Amino acid sequence: MRKVAIVGGGATKCGKRKASWRDLVQEAGKAMFESLGNLSPKDVDSLIVGAAQPERFVFQAHVAPMVAEYLGVTPRKVIARTELMCASGQAAIRYAWACVATGLADVAVAFGVEKMFMPDMAEAQTNMTCVLDRKWDGINGLSAPPFFAMTAQRHMHEYGTTREQMALVSVKNHHYSSMNPLAQFQKEITVEDVLKSLVVTPPLNLFDCSGITDGAAGMILVPAEDAKKYTDAPMYIIGSGQASIGNAINNLASLTEWVPLKIAAKEALKFAKITLDDIDIAELHDCFTISEIIEYEAFGWCEKGEGGKFIEEGQSHIGGKVAVNPRGGLLGCGHPLGATAILQAMDILQQFKGEVPKGRLVSDAEIAVAHNLSGPANVHSIMVYSR
Amino acid sequence: MSEPEFEKIEHIETIKLPFMLDFYPLEDEKYTQISHFFENLKEGRLTTTKCKRCAKPLWPPRIVCPNCLSDELEWVDLGSEGELYAFTEMRLGAPLGFVQDVPFCIGIVKIGGLLISARIDNAKYDELKFGDRLQLKIVELEDGRMFYRFKKP
Repeated sequence: MRKVAIVGGGATKCGKRKASWRDLVQEAGKAMFESLGNLSPKDVDSLIVGAAQPERFVFQAHVAPMVAEYLGVTPRKVIARTELMCASGQAAIRYAWACVATGLADVAVAFGVEKMFMPDMAEAQTNMTCVLDRKWDGINGLSAPPFFAMTAQRHMHEYGTTREQMALVSVKNHHYSSMNPLAQFQKEITVEDVLKSLVVTPPLNLFDCSGITDGAAGMILVPAEDAKKYTDAPMYIIGSGQASIGNAINNLASLTEWVPLKIAAKEALKFAKITLDDIDIAELHDCFTISEIIEYEAFGWCEKGEGGKFIEEGQSHIGGKVAVNPRGGLLGCGHPLGATAILQAMDILQQFKGEVPKGRLVSDAEIAVAHNLSGPANVHSIMVYSR
Repeated sequence: MSEPEFEKIEHIETIKLPFMLDFYPLEDEKYTQISHFFENLKEGRLTTTKCKRCAKPLWPPRIVCPNCLSDELEWVDLGSEGELYAFTEMRLGAPLGFVQDVPFCIGIVKIGGLLISARIDNAKYDELKFGDRLQLKIVELEDGRMFYRFKKP
């Protein structure tokens, strides 16, 4: 297996964009190629596009060739689209990495895009109900907010986690996203703002939930030995872990203990030959405030049930035990499904280069993990990056 | 210069709910091999498949046991009383087809050794508690298709 480097990338601003799916693709593609002075679209031999639901959101299938066309790329080794719902972008990174690592590809683009704003938002919500088993769970109105509301409710019940502790996750991540020009939400908020925001699905309020977001991002992967041709500061992929257990509610390992995440995290650390203490930055999938709390526990930064206390003590802030979501997370930056993992990776690359605003810079960071969950938290995907 | 004139073309006519926006499964034997589930609902019974070989009750119902690959499955009754394991209420962000019902409660119900999600009728979020006893409620769509919910007695 060849070691693989990420040499550059680019992204759109995320949010409610006055832009079509096709516009987003072009904006991100331009930014991606302009991040490197000496790589042209014609050099790209492979393209993997993470896109969760283009058939639903923009009524378009077979999207990888469309992205290739708009990017001016003519793949001759590998082209495909990956769908793993909220982790679709990470699936694109993983397969682009695998292609370069095995020698199947030499210059691969991992791209991600989602246009989620629709004229009728109820239709966008309908799309989210076929993420869970539509015939047995979605049919009951069970989209993401009700599922994670019940997860939060059980966690509060079993471990005494409080609404205030959950709100602190959103406050922290909005604090960091206020310093991220690509973020959907660039305003600081308080615990009171979270608790007074509209109730979506109790116990979750609006600011406990990541947004509906338009956005796209792409990055370029090459064999490590070629990396210095393109940049002085490449980022390397040093590990990966992924696990999936069950799908319908009845077959999940547990609502409040994310067993597949524990498995994926263990696998990723083993792969990268690192320990938890080596991780300087963790981009964790905070689709809802409760998610980040359970993730502290499943990775093992704190004991089971102590996630609320962990954020309360400031342990997941920059300067704490581990800097969690210094990008601003999904809560602050938005969550354009297919693009999210690429946006996480791009921000880690900028962190390693020291090119993020001081207030959210993790000084001298060497190793980062990026995590995405998908569906009813039955699938967990992790990449490990190093400077 | 006069304003340009355009021929008006028709865009869309009123269409019946397309299949891909219909939450309820097509449930007779022309469309699924678990049509018994829906026929049983018509008789007032919530059932699922159990593997005859390894005796595992499976949810959702299916045609092959994922534990031993046997396709000899039998229908078993889950009973008509469940216990509330978790719950919430849809207040914002309801999908199409549910908007008219807002607010409504959704729960995870323990029944027959399984944990299944369901609409919880006759209930308000603030009045529900963990462990509440719930009654099975079978509903029928205008076209005769069946589904299940639970309700507070």
